[in-house]
Amino acid sequence: MRLTVNGRVHTLDSALPLSLLELLRDRLALTGTKFVCGRGECGACTVQLDGETVYSCLTLAEACDGATVLTVEGLASGGGEPSLSPIQRAFIAKDAAQCGFCTPGQLMAAHTLLARNPHPTDDEIRSGMSGNLCRCGTYPKILAAVRAVADGEFAGSAEAGSVNAA
Amino acid sequence: MPRKTKGAAKPGGFVQTTVEIEGRTETRIVEIPAFEPAAWGTDAELGIVGARVPRMDAPERVSGRARYTTDIVRPGMLHAAIVRSTIPRGTIRSLDLSRARAMPGVLDVLGPGDAPAGTRLFGREIFYAGQPIAAVCAATGHAARSAAHAIAVEYDTLPFAVTFEDATAKDAPKVRAKGNVMENAPLVISRGDMDAGLKAADVIVRREFRTPVQLHTALEPHGAVAEWEGDRLTVWESTQGIFRVRENVSKALGITLSKVRVIKDYMGGGFGAKNGAGPHTYVAALFAKRQGRAVRCINDREAEQTDSGNRPSSTQRVTIGAKKDGTLTAIFASIDVPLGISGWEGGPGQIYHELYACPNVRTEETFAYVNASGMAAFRGPGYVEGAFGLESAMNALAKELKLDPVALRVKNFAKREPRTARPYSGNSLLQCYKEGAEAFGWSHESRKPEAGSRTRVGKGMAAQVWPTGGGPPAYALVRMNSDATVDVLAGTQDLGTGARTVLSQIAAESLGAKLSDVRAIIGDTQSLPYTGNSWGSMTTASVGPAVRMAAEDARRQLFEAAGAMLDATPDALEARDSRIVVRDTDRTMTFAEVTAKLGNVMIIGKGSRGPNPADTAIMTFGAQFAEVEVDLDTGIVRVLRIVATHDAGRIINPTLAESQLEGGIIQGLGYALFEERVLDRRLGLVMNATIHDYKIPTMADIPLIDAFFVAGADPVANHTGARGIAEPPMIPTAPAIAAAVSDAIGAEVTEIPLTPWRVLAAIAAKARR
Ligand code: FES
Ligand code: FES
Repeated sequence: MRLTVNGRVHTLDSALPLSLLELLRDRLALTGTKFVCGRGECGACTVQLDGETVYSCLTLAEACDGATVLTVEGLASGGGEPSLSPIQRAFIAKDAAQCGFCTPGQLMAAHTLLARNPHPTDDEIRSGMSGNLCRCGTYPKILAAVRAVADGEFAGSAEAGSVNAA
Repeated sequence: MPRKTKGAAKPGGFVQTTVEIEGRTETRIVEIPAFEPAAWGTDAELGIVGARVPRMDAPERVSGRARYTTDIVRPGMLHAAIVRSTIPRGTIRSLDLSRARAMPGVLDVLGPGDAPAGTRLFGREIFYAGQPIAAVCAATGHAARSAAHAIAVEYDTLPFAVTFEDATAKDAPKVRAKGNVMENAPLVISRGDMDAGLKAADVIVRREFRTPVQLHTALEPHGAVAEWEGDRLTVWESTQGIFRVRENVSKALGITLSKVRVIKDYMGGGFGAKNGAGPHTYVAALFAKRQGRAVRCINDREAEQTDSGNRPSSTQRVTIGAKKDGTLTAIFASIDVPLGISGWEGGPGQIYHELYACPNVRTEETFAYVNASGMAAFRGPGYVEGAFGLESAMNALAKELKLDPVALRVKNFAKREPRTARPYSGNSLLQCYKEGAEAFGWSHESRKPEAGSRTRVGKGMAAQVWPTGGGPPAYALVRMNSDATVDVLAGTQDLGTGARTVLSQIAAESLGAKLSDVRAIIGDTQSLPYTGNSWGSMTTASVGPAVRMAAEDARRQLFEAAGAMLDATPDALEARDSRIVVRDTDRTMTFAEVTAKLGNVMIIGKGSRGPNPADTAIMTFGAQFAEVEVDLDTGIVRVLRIVATHDAGRIINPTLAESQLEGGIIQGLGYALFEERVLDRRLGLVMNATIHDYKIPTMADIPLIDAFFVAGADPVANHTGARGIAEPPMIPTAPAIAAAVSDAIGAEVTEIPLTPWRVLAAIAAKARR
């Protein structure tokens, strides 16, 4: 089977009895995407599959033949902080990651939400993001981050997300 | 500033000091640091400390680069899975490991008798459902889990007790060998004269409150990767205390301390449950030794929800007496806590003694062991449960007295720590009441419902206290590299709290370095100096002063070197933005110019945490205000607004500290509304061990939260002026929400979580009256 992940084409044994999550983490060493429940309850494993949000723990690897997958590792356009995507920079600036374990899933859910609906209302953000749990309680900051990207605060250059503020 | 300590307080000498951890006081011998920097007072002019700088490791966290224990892969690594008992009490009659051994990919199995006694693993006697009884090691996680399922166990069952009532009944089964009640007696803490206090009261309220078992539900489960090199063991562990894991592993496996190395880079939440090594650690280490390869053992979600610690439930029977003007005359609570199979007396009682100036206070806490997984510290252990009882009772009293709940609390404000009469290092609780009430627009008058509306809006408030002094021992090094970048070295851990950022800010401020040139290196017992666990909200207050002292020591050395280069005495120098200037001149050098001249001569500053001031109570305070909307037909509660105002001394980074406040409030909201482990009394099994069935808040549940700190600093507590903040915000949330629900429906609610069913029952009970 062939699979494009973050712009790279992978050719893999098609009889893999794996979930897409296991394929990403264990075969492709893309450990940014997290496993928490393995049964579609938490959203930690959220990735983009052909432009749609999916729980990769519930997606069979086999069913992804020919598909295009985007994970948290693919959100940035290159190495280093300046290349981070607007939603990543917004997460930094608004302090939307505490422990960060849910963050990759949150970012992918937010990224896809904004791609489909660039100007969501707060309620649309709340319902769109409510499939992704965060035990540290970063929700207010995630809402602020998604809001800020929707409002264009992070369009353009990377300066806003710089960590060298002081 | 000079600090009073017991004993000979000369630099380099040793003294006794007290440290309060999770509400418990420990006496420790500590070294007096060679020098201590002058305290940053309330008016200290600081640029980096106190600034809202973004979390310095956020780029790692948002890019998928942050490595958690579950992401560690070692060459040839194997995987282990733990088999757990499916009954709450009995003995293993037979355990057939042969089928598991024969399964594809399986390399090794451990069963009864195979683990060293120190690990307390794999006994034949079963004390709770979920107890580890065997483990499998295989080439893949899949193979290990499948084989674990294939192990056939036969049990001889014994009678059991999973509730407080069953465990303390006259003919109760033996929950464990040593008796069902801790110390066979209640823990009684008392001051004054209860009878006199009740006699002096004009009004007495009596209530019974119940709180549920709450599960930590960190998204990253407990887990470890272990690898041996000869007789040296390296453990990657998702933990709040690398040095404590080292100590646990050393003891359990009989290896000397220095041969165990524990590493923790990033972790996905702890909240109190990850304070040491666990079965997963020992299983990984044992298999790794036997197989000569690295082994990973990570709890599955069911194990995480059934056997990784919990906040125990409580029943609190509270009696409060007061004068007509609100002056408290007596506080009494009789409290039952079923701990699980193990635990400590971190009970609801403490806060009853500490929050108000009342001369007569008595708590009687009975801690029972039950056949369920043991408790563990959970963010504000004891105080969160106790606050629900005490603060709900206070709100009932305010209603009875027709007093504003805020005014009632102001009336009973304690000018000294009421349990011990010690002065506070600082206490701005009155300011919290004032600023919180203002921000909320507080008035205690109930809002009139709109005509015909089936929803009701209500509001409530509650207060909080929590010991947050931190203390020694904690050490740090600050190293200036030849390129003038600065490393802060401390064996602490960042749970998502922002420790890396906060310690870097303190170092940059003290040294006069640019923050972007500073990085904190933490989480490795082999290469970093000792600091204690990140528990009890004590990392900033314990490690921060050590880092500051190390940075000042480094600056002193830097100034000595630069003084020679700039033809000035060191005390004529100042540093800012990684540049040294000779005061009142235009002579200047950057740090990089100095280090370039020094070449490979290194500047290494050393710091340690000095003792706490003697006989002083160091606490964090706060008040929270909640507004809720209740649907009278469905019983569904929506929290609309929370205003939280806390006093934690100096706030090193307001953005990160506010995130902590929000996190605590949201966990408190879950505790108030949804979270409840369900343990079937007849089966002895957890019925909701999944994230779907055990409800934690989602984004859709989050109210508007306005969480902030009163301004100030606490230079008496320690020379950074900062106290702790992680746990306090969770303490008053549930009673504030419950008070708001009571206000909305016009009937008191005394049991959480406030599920629709409970709210409807309260509404129905009121209608019947
Ligand atoms: S791990 Fe996929 S939804 Fe939880
Ligand atoms: S940041 Fe820790 S779970 Fe979301």
